Amino acid sequence: MEQRTSSPYPGKDRPVLAVIGVLLVVSTVVFAVTDHRKDWRWYQAEFRKMVAEKYGAEKAASVPAGMKQIWVKDLGRADRCITCHQGILWKGFETAEHPWKTHPAEPLKIHPVEDYGCTACHGGQGWAVESEKAHGPIHFWEEPVLGKAMGEAYSLQGGDKGALMQMNCNVCHRYDRETKGADLINLGKKLVNEKGCRACHVINGRGGTIGPDLTYVGDKAAEQYDMSRLGGQKTAFAWHVAHLKNPKELVPDTVMPSFGFGTKESQALAALVLSWRRAPVPATYRPGVPRTDPQTPEEIAEEERMKHGPGAWFVSTGCFVCHSVSSLGVKSAAQVGPDLSTAVEDTQSRFGKTVDDFIRNPTGTMSVVLSRQIVLTDAEKEVAIQKLREAFAEHQKQKAAGPEAR
Amino acid sequence: MSAKTEPPASSSAPGVHPKPFWSFRPRSDREAGDAVVSNFLLHWFPAKTYKPSLDWSYSFWLGTASAALFFLLVLSGLPLLLLYVPSVERAYGSVKDIEFVVTFGSWIRAVHRIAAHLMVAAVFLHLVRVFLTGAYKNGTGRGQRREWNWVLGVVMIVLTLFLSFTGYLLPWDQLAYWAVTVGTNIASSVPFVGPQMRELLIGGRTIDQATLIRFYVLHVIFLPAGLGALLAYHMWRIRKDGGLAKADRWTPTQEKTEASPAKSKTYSLLGVARGQAPAIRAVTLEARDTTVNSVNDLVRRISIVVLGTFAVVSILACFIPSPLEEPANPMITPNPAKAPWYFLWLQEIVTDTTLKIGSFTINGAFLGGVILPTLLLGLLTVWPWLDRSPAGAAGVWFHASRKRQNLVFLLVVLLVLAFTIVGTFLRGPYWNFYWPWEAWPELPTRI
Repeated sequence: MEQRTSSPYPGKDRPVLAVIGVLLVVSTVVFAVTDHRKDWRWYQAEFRKMVAEKYGAEKAASVPAGMKQIWVKDLGRADRCITCHQGILWKGFETAEHPWKTHPAEPLKIHPVEDYGCTACHGGQGWAVESEKAHGPIHFWEEPVLGKAMGEAYSLQGGDKGALMQMNCNVCHRYDRETKGADLINLGKKLVNEKGCRACHVINGRGGTIGPDLTYVGDKAAEQYDMSRLGGQKTAFAWHVAHLKNPKELVPDTVMPSFGFGTKESQALAALVLSWRRAPVPATYRPGVPRTDPQTPEEIAEEERMKHGPGAWFVSTGCFVCHSVSSLGVKSAAQVGPDLSTAVEDTQSRFGKTVDDFIRNPTGTMSVVLSRQIVLTDAEKEVAIQKLREAFAEHQKQKAAGPEAR
Repeated sequence: MSAKTEPPASSSAPGVHPKPFWSFRPRSDREAGDAVVSNFLLHWFPAKTYKPSLDWSYSFWLGTASAALFFLLVLSGLPLLLLYVPSVERAYGSVKDIEFVVTFGSWIRAVHRIAAHLMVAAVFLHLVRVFLTGAYKNGTGRGQRREWNWVLGVVMIVLTLFLSFTGYLLPWDQLAYWAVTVGTNIASSVPFVGPQMRELLIGGRTIDQATLIRFYVLHVIFLPAGLGALLAYHMWRIRKDGGLAKADRWTPTQEKTEASPAKSKTYSLLGVARGQAPAIRAVTLEARDTTVNSVNDLVRRISIVVLGTFAVVSILACFIPSPLEEPANPMITPNPAKAPWYFLWLQEIVTDTTLKIGSFTINGAFLGGVILPTLLLGLLTVWPWLDRSPAGAAGVWFHASRKRQNLVFLLVVLLVLAFTIVGTFLRGPYWNFYWPWEAWPELPTRI
């Protein structure tokens, strides 16, 4: 027999190696099993049972199995929702529970599933095939499903708790004056026109520059809001609702006036502004309206009258943002300040100064406005005094003529 | 054993072992040695291994574990190579696909990620071990060049960090984007050439497609190929330097001792002599019982370390999901924006050395991000030539003659660890300090 060096190691090392072998097998089993055990398999099995019950076994056999997705290349979306929501295009499951329920037919007529997918309208994470990760809200996916649960979390006013989904409608429909079925957004759009938000804000390329441009304000990240004075939910939506109700509460030095919006109006506007996003929507997905936000002929006429009428100076100088001058036909959208028709009298009673003194040495809010937003030279101040006197004279003339003359 | 029972040698060329696989239970030293000679995978082992080299508690097998992790990273990287798309538009989506729909995808990605983090840790600990045992020192053997293998090791740790850093960007999520932003901004604080260096690194002035493809190609081709080549050289040098430094003191005696003859060749005497093969006298320089056969004692231990590393990573990967944040968005900086964890000690030092005196700001990025790491790396590289301790200190944990340098080194290591821990776990929004039991302010969301 040849020489064989003796070794102390095999006795101790072999059992260790054996244990490691077992660990490797165990870990393989664990990851294979976790990879296989997914909830969607159960949902699919249940759906097949439901189909079998209703339409027979043969039909049930035709239900596709396995992971499914709708790949919408134009929108860059792979929506795997249909892996569990198998019944959306089946007739006869209108009263079934989620996820097997039939999708209402009406919206799908103009938004076919194969062209739009699911998440473009509903929100949620289309990549995911696990309930919580797909629906949210979860960390690191800021587009949760905008459904009833979300509406209830915000105590959404009005009958439709699922109305927040209209924010996603408006990504494509943002240039519509009114969108059928999107009542919440329609209310918001109506308020934007009525309240004259454009006096201060640029929206879709048109408006004043006193406030920030709102065209793509929906892209502003939640981190970029100052949430320090906001109670309750710390979300961009909640911030907008609170801010619209009372701007000064969240931003003490804002010049934005309070419009006295109720919860419903604030929610409608918050939903609208958050829908203003720079979404990469292909042109074919935009409804057939020009990509501007045109004014009606009445609105244009009104604007022309204000610009060129007797009160033109107040419009071009910017006073009309806050003040109406009713005697000269100038109507302010915000109406934050008093009517300037009576300023000549008014300054006496409010500030104890003549209008001449007040314009030359303003106090209060006007000192801020006249030093920052509307800066007048001495000559221009004289014009201002002159114009205010004219407005007052006109006011007295109309007053003398009696209310019916106005 | 008589000549008649010898297997016919005609089945293979002379000198080539007839069996394709080595014996798990070699019956003799010759059979054990044969395996090393004939098997490609084993050829870089010595035929015999000094017993102290096999100690668990000397080396902790950290180098082997690092190599195992590197191997696992290459292995788990291969399927990812087929699934990941290195494009700004599609990278994030392809990682989501790996997470959600690829069979075993989330496990493969978790294995790759966890192995990468563990490799940084293992390589660092390996460096600490080599320093504290003075294993970069030449011992009593002839022709040793251990100091150069140490320099090689320092280069390899830098490559490991860079491999991890380049991989960090690939998912193209917020975590990736801003970690690389922080990392490359530190690089740009080098005086004069900093901005140009950053531009070269990221292929432009902003992190975009040019950066992604640059990092991707570095990550999957150049860096692994470089590290693999250096690893082979590193291993070869260990053999040339006479094995682990601890085994130096066990090296051969100068006395030749009689050894029982090992039959290594069969001489055909062509009828000149009949009967038995000639007896060959053999001598050895090894003291008795200082070595064991590499096959299977070394192979078994290496299997334990390599497969054990695989098992640990695989089990961790089943339970630790890999994060994937929102898609990268250059307009939104997450708060806090952190570099990868192994650079957080630098980021922490950068913020600690950024001083504001009145309107004057002393930028810490230069000190913390450039001077300090360059100094530390430079010192590490040249340390074998600065270390004047005797040869007997090689391969000894905390040798008395190296007390002072070991203490200073440990202090630096602990400081690096402390800064890393502070940066990783105790820094919240605005880089403010939060104890683990203090809640961070609630992060706002969109809706």
